[in-house]
Amino acid sequence: MTEPDKEANTPPPLRTLQGIGVSPGIVAATVVVLKRQTLRAGWYHLPADHIEKEVERFAGAVQAAGDELLQLREKLAGDLADALSIIDSHVLMLRDRMLVERTIGIIRHKNVNAEWALAQALSEIKERFDRIDDPYIRERFADIKHVADRVFGLLSGREHGLLAGEDRPVILVANDFSPEDTLRMQAGNVHGFLTEKGGITSHTAIVARSLGLPAVVGIEHATSLLATGDLIILDGGSGRIVLDPGPTEIQRVQESDRRNRLLADELDAYIHLVSETVDGFAVRLSANIETLEELPAVLRFGSEGIGLFRSELDYFNNRRPPNEEQLVTTYQQLLATMAPYPVTVRTLDVGGDKFFNRFPGNRAWLDRERNPALGLRSIRFSLYEQDMFRSQLRALFRASVHGRLRILLPLISAPAELRQVKGIVAEVLAELAAKGHFVAENVEIGMMVEVPSAVVMADVFAAEVDFFAIGTNDLIQYSLAIDRGNQYVAHLYEPFHPAVLRMIRQTVEAGHANNIPVSLCGEMAGDPLCAPVLMGMGLDELSMRPAIVPKVKRLLRHCRSSELRQIAQQVLQCGDCGQVRNLLGRELAKLYPGEYYQG
Amino acid sequence: MMRSEKMVLVGNERGIHGRVATRLAGIAASHEVRLFLCHGEDKVECSSILDVLALALARGTAIGLVAEGPQAERALAAAAEIINAQDDACHDRAG
Repeated sequence: MTEPDKEANTPPPLRTLQGIGVSPGIVAATVVVLKRQTLRAGWYHLPADHIEKEVERFAGAVQAAGDELLQLREKLAGDLADALSIIDSHVLMLRDRMLVERTIGIIRHKNVNAEWALAQALSEIKERFDRIDDPYIRERFADIKHVADRVFGLLSGREHGLLAGEDRPVILVANDFSPEDTLRMQAGNVHGFLTEKGGITSHTAIVARSLGLPAVVGIEHATSLLATGDLIILDGGSGRIVLDPGPTEIQRVQESDRRNRLLADELDAYIHLVSETVDGFAVRLSANIETLEELPAVLRFGSEGIGLFRSELDYFNNRRPPNEEQLVTTYQQLLATMAPYPVTVRTLDVGGDKFFNRFPGNRAWLDRERNPALGLRSIRFSLYEQDMFRSQLRALFRASVHGRLRILLPLISAPAELRQVKGIVAEVLAELAAKGHFVAENVEIGMMVEVPSAVVMADVFAAEVDFFAIGTNDLIQYSLAIDRGNQYVAHLYEPFHPAVLRMIRQTVEAGHANNIPVSLCGEMAGDPLCAPVLMGMGLDELSMRPAIVPKVKRLLRHCRSSELRQIAQQVLQCGDCGQVRNLLGRELAKLYPGEYYQG
Repeated sequence: MMRSEKMVLVGNERGIHGRVATRLAGIAASHEVRLFLCHGEDKVECSSILDVLALALARGTAIGLVAEGPQAERALAAAAEIINAQDDACHDRAG
């Protein structure tokens, strides 16, 4: 009986929606819902003398939609080649006989209105595409639908420029956006968008990231749950949407948005400072990169080394795997540019099926893997395709004289695997020595800790490697059994899961007990809430996207090591991720009010 | 009328997908030619991207390429190259 009173006294719980964050950034703004998908094409029977007028009306809408696409194409800069090619294919779809001639045929033969006829034509196309086995081609139906929606919109007289027409800041909500829509948003006062459909690799998500437009996808029923005029907060990183946020919350987000811009200038001052706490406790802040073209950014943002060089691009940029000499050139430039800072090169980390399908001449195709994440990938692939692995190792050792090389082995799950690799390394070194190649003496060999078994066995592994690098993205995926790309479970992907935190701690302890350094690469390293905890746990190095380094360095330089250790201790005692977040929100804000928080 | 034809193997790992189909339509449009793909019983014209996509041609499929018109030879050569190419200069990241 006391329930009603109780409810009246407690503030209503925060209403949130969880989607997939595909383009980071937090914004607060008013929602505009575009209910394009629910637009139903009504059926009208047309008198005979009206038919040709209807055909003309349809042809006019197709023409106008085509003009819009071509205008958009002209406006885009040449560096958006991917987007241009998408637009080209949309123009072709728009003019395709299956769409245009079929619709006109239906108008003429059935005496019906253009909307109805177009919907019919579209469902015929859908039927045809539904029968296609290849998911990649089948999914192109989404593009056809975008194109048809454009024509539907014009037929119903809706102004297509709506997206750009707003003058107050808005967050757009729709079932889905086409890549063109996304490009158009840049011009308007659109601060972010969210959709019901889509995943992290959809074209729309890719364009949003390249424009730096915060976006969340995969929120089912978003267009019904939200209404135009609602004020929401959108977090394009975590994928969280806060409905009816309080005025203080909104102000906080808008304020931090403003501060972020100011901060970017201020951070420049930290680029050349040492990364250490107020009391002189140093943590190396290094960069994750995958191509030499990122080196200017690495130097610009003051990274003290490369914590993760993903070596895959050399293998995928050409029609055949690279030869040893090509690899030597890459690694030599990499090491020489970064010297005297260390460079950690992760050996080839790919799935075997992807690899062989790309270079079929190399060996017979593999059977399609039923479970690629648990299949022939990473170090397992290198051990399967040993000639290629040896060639990469030879190239690495030959380049080693130009700087400080650390070789990182991915996805090690059993000590026997590690020993097999070390056996191969010994053979490669003997081979190089026999050929008279010089090899640096200080090359370190370490392993990724990204499989739960590696954490459990960390004490055994620590005695056999020179360093550990914790890969949190995979470690979280494997330990929580969550595929982050799956919209139904992505919300369960949780860096602050106590299991994840304990595994990190266990790995650090095992490493330090054997006097080897432990680094962490993965998105957690650059997350302003995670980073202090990781530093408090004693990680020796955090590796992140180059542009985030100054931000984390600034934070570190305002902290005290004793306080960080204490926070880490408290966090490790929490029983669930909610407690962890509450604790951090409270403690960090109290300890470092000047720092918390921009994001 | 000039007519040329040729058997071609699909080289792209994703088969004839949107980008390849778009480029084939571009070849058809930029030459004085009608360009067809033949596969089994099906014969579709390259000017229709949807017809081409709907064939769902996977890598390794042998298809007949037919060009009709004054520039048949040139169009055929250009189209064959696109179909046969292993990548489409698309920097999709594998791995």
